[in-house]
Amino acid sequence: MPQSRVGPRTIAPPLEPGAPSDFELMKGIQAGDPDALSQLYDRYNGILKALILRVIHNEAEADDLLQEIFMEIWNQAKNFSEQKGKPLGWMVTLARRRAIDGLRKKQAYARAEERLQNETEQQPDAWVHNSTEEEIVLSDTRVLIRKVISGLPPAQQQAIDLAFFRGMSQREIAAKTNTPLGTVKTRLELGLKKIYDGLKDLKDEL
Amino acid sequence: MNFEQFQNQSRLYVIGALEPDELEEFEKARRKFGKKADDFISKCYALHEAFALSLRPAKSSDAIKDRLMAMVKAKKQS
Repeated sequence: MPQSRVGPRTIAPPLEPGAPSDFELMKGIQAGDPDALSQLYDRYNGILKALILRVIHNEAEADDLLQEIFMEIWNQAKNFSEQKGKPLGWMVTLARRRAIDGLRKKQAYARAEERLQNETEQQPDAWVHNSTEEEIVLSDTRVLIRKVISGLPPAQQQAIDLAFFRGMSQREIAAKTNTPLGTVKTRLELGLKKIYDGLKDLKDEL
Repeated sequence: MNFEQFQNQSRLYVIGALEPDELEEFEKARRKFGKKADDFISKCYALHEAFALSLRPAKSSDAIKDRLMAMVKAKKQS
């Protein structure tokens, strides 16, 4: 069924011909088929691991959390509903929440902050950076999404980055960036709207 | 709150960035706009996908999948 133009629902990369869809794999998991989970893991472990790493900045902890998240996907699959969205969106939401909870529980903000500071200087995946984009081999989907995000002013990118990947509230972002609360709100609203609108166009390119 | 304002708030809502006082107003508006509101919120979750897909995939240890599948099979048998 063609997607409507009223807004994005998914921008997941296309699958190999004949490969089961994410919905089919979720149905398999709901029916208790471990092979379906195995395939979903192969398809998305890299994306979810990258997301977790971006939040907690620790390789070993990210691996452990990844395993826990896929176990939760197995255990909670019955709560997934096609009406509520796509499997990838559901998994990303779950992974992000677990990663941010993990970060808070361990009271690791200070440590992560220090790592983030170091990694922002070197890390090619940070949104706000000046370096070697061309050195990185990116998939088409990632290139297009990054293009949308990098079109935002750095202050909007930073506000969204802190809200999404660090789980910070508007007040926390305002304090961290020494910016008035109203300005933070405006940056988030404008930035998210631009990305959302950009995804509409991106869906047509994929 | 009109629907355009609700749309702006929805995008903040899905990334967990609404402040508690805004959340209350948002929930009121969500009830006011009904299904149209819920449909729009569902679409906003594409932002989560986009942020995850904007990152370069990270390699996981092979042992993670082995442990996961062993746990799943053990749970299935229990």
